[in-house]
Amino acid sequence: METAFIAISRDFQTYGAVERDGEVIFDRVAGFDQVSEERSRYAPKEFLMKRNENVLILNVENKTAVFGIKSCDLKGFYLMDKQVFGKDPFYTEKREKTLFANFVCSEPCSGGFCSSFGGPVLDQYDLQILREGEKFHVMVSEKYDRYFGEFKKEAGTFYSDFSNRFNSKLEPLPVEGIERRIKWNSELWKEYASACISCGACNFECPTCYCFDLYDDGNERKREWDSCILSGFTSSSAGNIRKDLDERLRQRFYHKFVYFKKSKDTYLCTGCNRCVEDCPVGIDIKEVITYDYNRE
Amino acid sequence: MVIPTQASGERVIGYSKSPVNEGKLCLKGYSGLSYNFSKERLKYPLIKRNGEFVRVSWEAALTETSNRLKKIIKEYGPDSVAFQSSAKCTNEENYLMQKIARVIGTNNIDHCARSCHSPTAMGLITTLGAGAATGSINSLDDSKTYFVIGSNTTEQHPIIGTRIIKGRKKGKNLIVADPRKTQLAEIASIHLQFNPGTDVALLNSIMHVILEENLEDTKFIEERTEGFSALRQELAKYSPEIVEGITGIEPEKLREAAKIIAKEKPTSILYAMGITQHVHGTENVMSISNLGLLTGNLGVRGGGIFPLRGQNNVQGSSDMGALSEWYPGYIPVNSDSVKRFEILWKRGLPTNTGLTLSEMFDAAVDGSLKAIYIMGENPLVTEAAISDVEKGIENLELLIVQDIFMTLTAGVADVVLPATTSLEKEGTFTNTERRIQKVNVIYDSPGEAMPDWWILNEIGKRVGGLESYDNPRSIFEEIRKAIPNYSGATYENIYPTGKQWPINKDNPDGTEILHTKSFPIGKGKLVPIPYRPPAEVTDANYDFIMTTGRNYYHFHSGTMSRRTDVLERESPEPYVEINTEDAKRIGARNSQKITIESRHGSIETKVKTTDKIPAGIVFVPFHFDESRVNRLVGKNLDPLSKIPEFKVVAVRLVV
Ligand code: SF4
Ligand code: SF4
Ligand code: SF4
Repeated sequence: METAFIAISRDFQTYGAVERDGEVIFDRVAGFDQVSEERSRYAPKEFLMKRNENVLILNVENKTAVFGIKSCDLKGFYLMDKQVFGKDPFYTEKREKTLFANFVCSEPCSGGFCSSFGGPVLDQYDLQILREGEKFHVMVSEKYDRYFGEFKKEAGTFYSDFSNRFNSKLEPLPVEGIERRIKWNSELWKEYASACISCGACNFECPTCYCFDLYDDGNERKREWDSCILSGFTSSSAGNIRKDLDERLRQRFYHKFVYFKKSKDTYLCTGCNRCVEDCPVGIDIKEVITYDYNRE
Repeated sequence: MVIPTQASGERVIGYSKSPVNEGKLCLKGYSGLSYNFSKERLKYPLIKRNGEFVRVSWEAALTETSNRLKKIIKEYGPDSVAFQSSAKCTNEENYLMQKIARVIGTNNIDHCARSCHSPTAMGLITTLGAGAATGSINSLDDSKTYFVIGSNTTEQHPIIGTRIIKGRKKGKNLIVADPRKTQLAEIASIHLQFNPGTDVALLNSIMHVILEENLEDTKFIEERTEGFSALRQELAKYSPEIVEGITGIEPEKLREAAKIIAKEKPTSILYAMGITQHVHGTENVMSISNLGLLTGNLGVRGGGIFPLRGQNNVQGSSDMGALSEWYPGYIPVNSDSVKRFEILWKRGLPTNTGLTLSEMFDAAVDGSLKAIYIMGENPLVTEAAISDVEKGIENLELLIVQDIFMTLTAGVADVVLPATTSLEKEGTFTNTERRIQKVNVIYDSPGEAMPDWWILNEIGKRVGGLESYDNPRSIFEEIRKAIPNYSGATYENIYPTGKQWPINKDNPDGTEILHTKSFPIGKGKLVPIPYRPPAEVTDANYDFIMTTGRNYYHFHSGTMSRRTDVLERESPEPYVEINTEDAKRIGARNSQKITIESRHGSIETKVKTTDKIPAGIVFVPFHFDESRVNRLVGKNLDPLSKIPEFKVVAVRLVV
């Protein structure tokens, strides 16, 4: 791996998951052995969409390689692509110039439910890395094949076997058909609204959320990450069409499980569990999936 | 925790190892940073010449500022100069500013804790010996009952609010006493929706019931407190039936609440500005302390008294002695212990009580105060009786404002010194649970902006002949000598999770729960507090009671949060919350412009109808400089702590 890493570092600015003060964050790394295999504290969305950025001038971006992103976080970008790739020039410019090397988890993390959405072995990737003891199995996309020219190519079923084993360890939730089961008038939304403090974590921390607010600062035009839980989100002159918090909370789940499914034929969720972990009041999207709506 | 990775763009995350928030943030955490990069940041020192600000060099600004200060001191004496420090600045900066004031020879040093928690310091130091939260945020997880009074916790202290929400959802008891139907009130076991300003009557009545039902903690009262019989005598007068006429609370509801508070222990009592910002703010605090002592809820995990601090460093700036009646570590200015500082600072020091915030502007009006040096404060928005502040400022010979933006107050200053934000400097903050935490430099500052400690250091050398400090660390080393509770803290050992004071030889890891064995003053004092009505009452002309405060999105005078895109979008304009029925009655529609008049002034603002506020009461947030609610607030001061009554103002609404 180190050889490939060095070759990639010649062409790219290289970042990796590293530990700082007990948190795994992303920073510059000089060697593959420095990259942490622990799951990062956050989905590194800022590589493609900054929390706050100037949108008057489209900069030509550097080529960037990010090592150590987990599959669930990376999958967020592939889902985002369906909505914004090619449409948002700032995202697109960075997306095209960024290489992600994702680590496939060998064991389920605590709380994550990626197996419900296919598990940690992705079918879209740049470099997909799976450790087996001291050995690394790497799946390379055509775009980056050249960095692995001299390595032994393995055919076979290693990845799919692994995937089956993993997914049997982490039982998938019954996501299929959630778009038909979920209920508009469920009591869940009011229950959640009584606890939610509108912090926005479930959007800001979600690897699939891509909404921005545009604003002017002096003679500059900027945009900043936004949250659909807030009442000013998509507000028109008549105020937000979703006046109450329970409606806005419901909107988030409907977007993920109903609207996106209808328009893009996939759910807007990777099972990373970040929205649950970072919700200060413990609102759990898994409950939205498993809840028995018929009971009501 | 802010992670600036140059190429990938900065990222804010909650630090999951932090015992304060366990990695959880509120919206201000996630979205509250953009002000830091605003185009409007102050970048260069400015001096006003012929009514216009002119850019000058630091050397010129420092020399001129010092010379003018020195001239005023020489001509009129040190008490003609006053300093306003800031609970948004670091401990090091607060320490330095009060030191400069005192070395120059005046105790005219104060800051915004005067307007939020001075009654806490005064009240709890009197009854318990320490003006601080007695437990930790983590210890709230061990409470069986929460009693929240005068605090809209989920909006003002959201992360602490979420602990209560989670506890409540697990089935813990929650009693909320608040005139407004807050989010916590909606999920509470009991909501006591009492009349504003009648806190003492309510608390006394709760204690009356506790004694009536023999639910007090006799052992604790006997071993750990004094003054019980006098308190018992006073409480006898407050039967719930009589008190109902004052508070508006049905006796049965009150009895039920009292029983839960006393029986379902440990009980944590949390309060904020709804308790302190009254003419009897200190008495309110002492009543809370009475309740805590009476039920034996102090010194135990899960119990305790939690004054929730409204700014990042109110606890620290108060600890540092940036208050006119206390030297660092709450040493009274007129006590013999001031000698300690005379030795440490190698000077004779003033022992007369200095001017408090609001008194400073009065003294400016009457001409005895000639200069005010303000660091990171915006009194033209935040002080009560703004017209007096305006008059005072007009009368000054010199107004120095050190800030990050051109605030309303900076706009009328003679000298404006550009400071850096807390993301651009090093130092420590002490949070609401006494936890001393380190901040580090994350970003470069714009233009020539400098950290507050650096500016103060330069002024201190020139005006007070202070020895120069090399960095915040060297100031902190002196703080460790000045304040015994900080003596065991170092920049190394408090990083990254912080430690709770007292940190000293006996408690090298800090102290999570205070008063476990005894109080710093020996026994806890039970103090009989008679109920007195608020200073302002309604009459035929002023028929509404107005309370003021913050909303979830903005911070203080809005200097920072209103320059933060998402926060400003969520709350872009001033408003008054009115009960829906009241609005109908006076013929005001939602979003309509109306005028609010008090006995002190009038403002225009927009109507927001709501059912969360009872009839007869209106609420106005104070963040908006285009419609400053403090024009309406009079100067009714708590005689003990000198806090103005921001929470009860008689007004009328003109449609
Ligand atoms: S959710 Fe799956 S892919 Fe993501 S960190 Fe957990 S185990 Fe790995
Ligand atoms: S909705 Fe929650 S679990 Fe799904 S991808 Fe977003 S953060 Fe992860
Ligand atoms: S993370 Fe939880 S509390 Fe925050 S906005 Fe989302 S649901 Fe509400």
